[in-house]
Amino acid sequence: MPEPTDNSSGLVCVGLNYKTTPVEVRERLAFPEAQVPLAVEQVRGLPGFEESVVLSTCNRVELYAAHSLPSGHHGHAALRDYLIARFELQPEHAEAMVLYNLDADEAARHLFRVVSGLDSMVLGETEIFGQVKSAYKTALATGSTARTLNKLFQQAFTVGKKVRNDTMIQRGSTSVGSVAVDLAEKVHDLKECRVMLVGAGEMSRTCAQSLLSRGAKSVIVSNRSYEKAVELAAEMKGTAIKFDEWEHALHEVDVIISSTSAPHFVIKPEQIEQVMRRRRWEPLLLIDIAVPRDVDPSVNDIEGVYLYDIDALQNIADDGRRERERQLAACERIIEEQLEKFGYLKPPGASQAGLLVS
Amino acid sequence: MRVPVTPPLQILLASTLAFACAVVQGVVALKSGVWKQGNTRFVLMGCGFLLQTGFIYLRGQDVGQCPMKTLPDILVFIAWSIVLLYFLVGSAFRLSLLGAFTAPLVSVMQIMAMAGGFAAYPPKGKINALIELHAAVALIAYAAFALACVTGVMYLVQERMLKRHQIGGLFYQLPPIQGLALAIQRLVRLGLLLLSISLGTSFALHTPVSNPKLVFSWVVWGLYAVITVLMWRHFTSPRRTAWLAVIGFILPFISLWIVTHA
Repeated sequence: MPEPTDNSSGLVCVGLNYKTTPVEVRERLAFPEAQVPLAVEQVRGLPGFEESVVLSTCNRVELYAAHSLPSGHHGHAALRDYLIARFELQPEHAEAMVLYNLDADEAARHLFRVVSGLDSMVLGETEIFGQVKSAYKTALATGSTARTLNKLFQQAFTVGKKVRNDTMIQRGSTSVGSVAVDLAEKVHDLKECRVMLVGAGEMSRTCAQSLLSRGAKSVIVSNRSYEKAVELAAEMKGTAIKFDEWEHALHEVDVIISSTSAPHFVIKPEQIEQVMRRRRWEPLLLIDIAVPRDVDPSVNDIEGVYLYDIDALQNIADDGRRERERQLAACERIIEEQLEKFGYLKPPGASQAGLLVS
Repeated sequence: MRVPVTPPLQILLASTLAFACAVVQGVVALKSGVWKQGNTRFVLMGCGFLLQTGFIYLRGQDVGQCPMKTLPDILVFIAWSIVLLYFLVGSAFRLSLLGAFTAPLVSVMQIMAMAGGFAAYPPKGKINALIELHAAVALIAYAAFALACVTGVMYLVQERMLKRHQIGGLFYQLPPIQGLALAIQRLVRLGLLLLSISLGTSFALHTPVSNPKLVFSWVVWGLYAVITVLMWRHFTSPRRTAWLAVIGFILPFISLWIVTHA
């Protein structure tokens, strides 16, 4: 095993995220995608700075940099001043801006946690990995990275992959929409999956969009207000049908998402029994998001029919979140091991840089 | 006449150990919930298969024919065919977990074979290629039925979890039930086709109709022909078809014991 070396000298990170800063402030400090290359160059061009990466997403704005200033505090102050100047913040806004100032091993640990999805709003989400990669590529393309940040980011991607491969941090679903996708994937080949919305509520729209984004074949929308059905169908590139026609189309679909405001059961066992015969026992997934429920629970007793109501979906999502939280300790352990392996941890006895919030 | 020698059992033992390791690896992975499409299981199954092949070759050399005369020999040959089919159909059906479900069956079959012992029998004076083909194709057909049985178990497990809302662990690793139902149908059809070919060759062999092996083979053929028709005409639900594939395999399995002792 190679001897660990100190990779952290001159490394700083200054940032804010959804935990420290409300969205109305975050949106003011977000870098538009097209302006990120310029921002990266501006940060690198600050006196005493040699390298920089700018990460700007809806949940965070972070500046990573390598500098040759006398101390980390100088680096933090320079980056803070840059943000104030760049976004032309009024003194009162600048005063209210809460930033985390990290240097050396804390900055590396933070990036490793971010890449692994441990610092995300949805624990273990994977989108952030791509966002960090994109931020690094932008910095690389502008020539704003060198030895310190190249090493740090390459190592962060390795750690992110390791955390996801060796733990269950990304397993399970944490939202009703993603539970619907998981269920549909375990019943059908999603590419061949046809979806029907009975009622055009917000949550059924979210579920249908999740299914479509993961490759579902088509969507049929039926709603009491036909205009609303047409509007939603157009948005999802699907087909709208009148509300009195939805029963006739039942046998053509593989997933039914129901969210009408009817005070009684809209989908009954006798209808589904007929449908199943016409479908020649092809499995059917029913997602009942309505309260009061739209689907008679005894429908679940029919062979080949899988019924999930809102409570069942919510329970699965809660289990998924709890499972991910249980994985946190294992993820943190991997990150600590990797920090040590890559030489970011200071020898025992040396003072550790802490989380400084200004 | 050359005296038959028992082939090195160590080879079969090593093969069984490889499959047993694949079982342990699969169980550990499933229990921890971290299921990777890594190479370990594939390598273990591959090693087991190569050792099986070596054992069957040496055993064939010793008995001077394709070793399919005694129950232990038949069990090893079917176990070999199951692994062969697993390599052929596992990837085609995208059933990455099939190996984890196949390895226990193969391990048990080989342990049963070793417990039974490999009796020596005199080499055949003259080998009739048609008889060897007839027997080998029939046993590969049985392997297809065994794999349909394994896939049926996977279907029933996944279906139960979906029905009871038990989402977690194995649920995320198993393929969609629709794909599993399709795999069962294809494996049953493949087995039936191979058994039909095997039985077709028996007409050219002029075997007496009363031959118990032939009678049982026709019974097995009849059972799977019925299952195939039920699946083809959609007379039963996929869940019942999966049960048929699982329970149905009991008949060929028992028939193996009967025909080798008849």
